[in-house]
Amino acid sequence: MKRRDFLKQSSLASSLFFVPNFVKAFEKVAKESLGYKKLVIIQLSGGNDGLNTIIPYTNDIYYKKRPGLSVPKSELIKVTDELGFHQSLAPLKNLYDQGYLSIINNVGYPNPNRSHFRSTDIWQTASDANQYLDTGWLGRYIEQFGKMPYTGIELDDSLSLIMKGESMNGIATKNPRTLFANTQTPYFKKVLNHQSDAHLSEHNLGYLYKTMIEAKSSAKYIYETSKTYKSSLEYPKNPFGKQLKTTSEFINSNLDSSVYYVSMGGFDTHANQENRQKKLLKTYSESMEVFINDLKQNDTFKDTLVITFSEFGRRLQQNAAGGTDHGAANNVFIIGENLKTKGFYNDAPNLLNLDSNGDLIHSVDFRSIYATVLDTWLQVDDEAILNKSYNKLNFIG
Amino acid sequence: MKQKHIQHLYLRSGFGIDTKVLDKIKSKPKSKIIEYLFSDSEKMIPLQLNLTEFNLIKNKSPKVLKKEMGEAAFRKLRQKSRKKVRDLNHLWIDRLTDQSCMLREKMTLFWANIFVCRDNHIFHIQHYNNTLRENALGNFRSFVKAIAKEASMSKYLNNSQNKKQRPNENFARELMEIFTLGVGNYTEEDIKESARAFTGWSFKVNGDFTVRKKQHDFDEKTFFGKNGKFNGDDIIDIILEQKQCARFICEKIYKYFVNPVVDESNLEEITTLFYKDYNIKSLMNHIFSSTWFYDEQNIGVKIKSPIELLVGIRIVVPVIFNKKNQLNYLQKMMGQVLLYPENVSGWKGNKSWIDSNTLMFRMKLASLILNDAIINLEEKGAFEDSFIKYYDKERKRNRFIKTTKNWSVFLEQHKNIKPKELRDLLIISKLDKDTNALLDELKISSNRDYCIQLMSIPEYQLC
Repeated sequence: MKRRDFLKQSSLASSLFFVPNFVKAFEKVAKESLGYKKLVIIQLSGGNDGLNTIIPYTNDIYYKKRPGLSVPKSELIKVTDELGFHQSLAPLKNLYDQGYLSIINNVGYPNPNRSHFRSTDIWQTASDANQYLDTGWLGRYIEQFGKMPYTGIELDDSLSLIMKGESMNGIATKNPRTLFANTQTPYFKKVLNHQSDAHLSEHNLGYLYKTMIEAKSSAKYIYETSKTYKSSLEYPKNPFGKQLKTTSEFINSNLDSSVYYVSMGGFDTHANQENRQKKLLKTYSESMEVFINDLKQNDTFKDTLVITFSEFGRRLQQNAAGGTDHGAANNVFIIGENLKTKGFYNDAPNLLNLDSNGDLIHSVDFRSIYATVLDTWLQVDDEAILNKSYNKLNFIG
Repeated sequence: MKQKHIQHLYLRSGFGIDTKVLDKIKSKPKSKIIEYLFSDSEKMIPLQLNLTEFNLIKNKSPKVLKKEMGEAAFRKLRQKSRKKVRDLNHLWIDRLTDQSCMLREKMTLFWANIFVCRDNHIFHIQHYNNTLRENALGNFRSFVKAIAKEASMSKYLNNSQNKKQRPNENFARELMEIFTLGVGNYTEEDIKESARAFTGWSFKVNGDFTVRKKQHDFDEKTFFGKNGKFNGDDIIDIILEQKQCARFICEKIYKYFVNPVVDESNLEEITTLFYKDYNIKSLMNHIFSSTWFYDEQNIGVKIKSPIELLVGIRIVVPVIFNKKNQLNYLQKMMGQVLLYPENVSGWKGNKSWIDSNTLMFRMKLASLILNDAIINLEEKGAFEDSFIKYYDKERKRNRFIKTTKNWSVFLEQHKNIKPKELRDLLIISKLDKDTNALLDELKISSNRDYCIQLMSIPEYQLC
């Protein structure tokens, strides 16, 4: 039996326009809107080498530890008398010059873990190094303050831990049309159309039906709302550019989603780092500049904050393969229109005081950044989401 | 025994039942059916890849090999060997569909999510996996002691770095937090002291356990109020003296095999039993023989894990995956890749398998592997991938899962079965009048089509 026949035979095409009352009730909730602030979280996945991104070009130790990998003074973009940008970051320098960029150095957490998986978990769940949480910090935000999965969108086809709550999760999509189509298969519709709310009281079965309804409503809402706006700017032709383009279309079509998560891969540069990182940073910063311009043109930049992090930085001492190994503390980029601290938020890393692995020691806990963003930007109770109180920073006002 | 109860027993102690087996045992008394379950699993058949081309890695240390083969050749060989872990994953999934030792395999899967471990050394992880299988129905005491001596575990929880001069507490901490007692049932001091008892516990190149005497702390330790020159085995014995250990394991067992919502009096009953001798087989026998196991509220209320869902379909319709790598794809999209747990705390199970994306995928699974449906979703890239490879999956849009379906087996087994009977065979969960109305309305052209339809309703997600 071919797929098409299967659909035909199931005689499922009827009653497509019938929307049961209890589904309507779910969709109504969506109208209650959250604040209008947007948060975009970007992970440079694999562990970006922060020391060759923001380069301590007057520090001899840096040049000594990286005889074959350090960036020569002549090849970087100097921004302070201590620090310079990698030359691929020229577009980011434009944002810096306009006061749209704040760089927080030495961000990390106590007892850093050097496994991609574990450290990503820690960053995504906002846990301590020896604590295992099953929900992500954005997932907890979605669960407590959002009403529907589309409150949080991941630009991918499957959902990461960062977006997962206890019984409400974000939703993942790279392509709203595909997502929508997947909930419009006659079978999916048919099942829902036959349900009254009787199932919803059942324990796990109710949860399945609730999730189906939310998935269907969210997919429909995202697709129908975002198709009203198509970006006119030209993004770099690569998958990351595409992810940001889709994100801008979501934001600029006034989709009532407040948090976005994008993962950009390729940063695990154990070998031949120089060329690889050059291309990666170019891809990142060129796409980012277009993205910010796109938001500006649509007057949404003032309401959008973009945070870029990696699960860890890389070791100061280069390795034998022209690369660097997993490290600890790293820099975090904050991009926004009205930053309180523009440029460098704090001091450059101290290369004299390293931990026993030879890695940078953090001076800012990453959860302080989260707490600040939750409290000041999204204006929700940060302690309710982080389960603990952290010092607030003042990069935003 | 009611047919529904037999189905329930087989779904929980395995992945479902085919009609051939059902017809064979239907008329037998409950005690006999349970007896078969255990006698079938008496034997232990190890999972064994052919690894002869990698024997060098098993017998010589990386240092020696680098010297003998040259760095590049060694790296290549090791890389190739690491890919074998995926082959082991495929072999394991195929094994789960083999119903001849169903209970042992289900237990092995359960324990793999208690003693969570990950290793890319194929010899060590294969041995580890077989240690789980070996002890799956044995004595919990010897089980924990065996796990503590496995090379893969020693690496995963850094015990090979645990030395008298500089203790590493990772293994001691997780031993208590995740493997035996649960958070809050020990002190930080207990962790420090027990970590000392495991110092020097390490392994040889071939994976065999060894104690490095110079690194072992032979001095006196204080653990749970007791003093002595304890080693790791002594520590495990003291942990098992705590009734909390029996309760902790029984709660995991209960949630996995009986109901994600725990009934306290049932839990107390099995905890008391298990605490006596830590015999896993008697514990399982007691559960399956109890009357409460068959209570209505325990039937069809558990959300299947991705592996239970996948294997369950394959038990009804035998399927061969022509491209084994597509098995990885399916596991990734549903969030459970065997041998690649995300962290030591394992998969949480039940509701946490479900979000909008996984549910849409899971409801399409039967069409994907039985009906050549098209899928246009991509798996995530890996941390180690280059930028191009990370997004490479993009090119595989609109793909099919290439399978060979053995419908003749299904048709032969179900030739005399009416739609209503097929419904009862495939759906164990409660069906209310709405869903019944939907199913009644479907035009049923054949058992084969109806089978796929039944596997596509939300109720099929439950076991």
